[in-house]
Amino acid sequence: MRIVIDVLIIISLFFAFAGTVGLLRMPDFFCRMHSSTNIATLGILGVVIAGILYALIYLGDGSMAVKLGIIGLFNILANPIASHALANGAYKHAKKPIETVEADQYGEDLVEKNE
Amino acid sequence: MKKANASSVISTFIVTFIFWMLITGQLSAVFRGQPSVEVLIAGVIVCLLTSLFSAKFFIHEKAFWLLNPARLGSFLLYCCVIFPIELIKANVDVAIKALSPKLNIHPGIVKVPSELKSEYGQAMLANSITLTPGTITLDLAEDLEEEAAATNTAAATTVKETAAAGSGVTPAAGTDGLSKAASGRLYYYIHWLDMKTTDHAEAGEQIKGTMEKHIRRIWE
Repeated sequence: MRIVIDVLIIISLFFAFAGTVGLLRMPDFFCRMHSSTNIATLGILGVVIAGILYALIYLGDGSMAVKLGIIGLFNILANPIASHALANGAYKHAKKPIETVEADQYGEDLVEKNE
Repeated sequence: MKKANASSVISTFIVTFIFWMLITGQLSAVFRGQPSVEVLIAGVIVCLLTSLFSAKFFIHEKAFWLLNPARLGSFLLYCCVIFPIELIKANVDVAIKALSPKLNIHPGIVKVPSELKSEYGQAMLANSITLTPGTITLDLAEDLEEEAAATNTAAATTVKETAAAGSGVTPAAGTDGLSKAASGRLYYYIHWLDMKTTDHAEAGEQIKGTMEKHIRRIWE
């Protein structure tokens, strides 16, 4: 059982590492955001699941496991909202138009609407 | 803004009270038969106040829609099997892209049509898309041409803010029924890390995968 917990932590460390590397290498804000979602989903869920298993098996502490589950649940609920708000705000208040995208159907429709 | 009715307040109260019990550790105490009465009374007061103020943000449609074995079953299936599989696939994909020596990305913003009518379903699909790495929902809009033709005014083509679990308030929200959400077709604007196509339907096929089908089974 100890091995399962260790493997889960290693997996989530790997995804957190990949997310960080992506955060540094990606060209613009939106692409960086895709990488940081990597950390917020599997990077955190792996640690949370490992923590739940550890609390249940080695500590025998049910309430700690429940609280860890709540952390994971609220992370899953809150993360997409924050990502969406950041992305939408960044798009609408960008000083210059985004240059890295290869197609921008949102911008086209916004221009149509304003005319 | 829509007013809260009794069923939305009650359902919000139940959910917040369950979380109160879980966080304070009272749920196991109740099962053991020795709950702390003070903590429970304080929980009732706090949860009642919270739900009175916040119910109008959370519940716009039928409050107890999920309490049906078939819907609950497909909800659990979606949360425990379908969505994690999509999540892991997308995670591995983005991690490989970030770690590969040559940064192989083609970012783009595509417009994707959606068939979902229910507000909860729309929010759930938008959140699922945002939560999978590689795709972020930028906005949710009704079809501009159809709506302009219907009302003949440019002012009616408002772009609705998409939402977290129900914080997007539809101005035209009816009091009951799940079919009122969209008059025309709905479109998601999605920033896609590895854009393969600009065609609306095909992009939707690739981004949403099997998720939309399962969400429809839950909410419609």
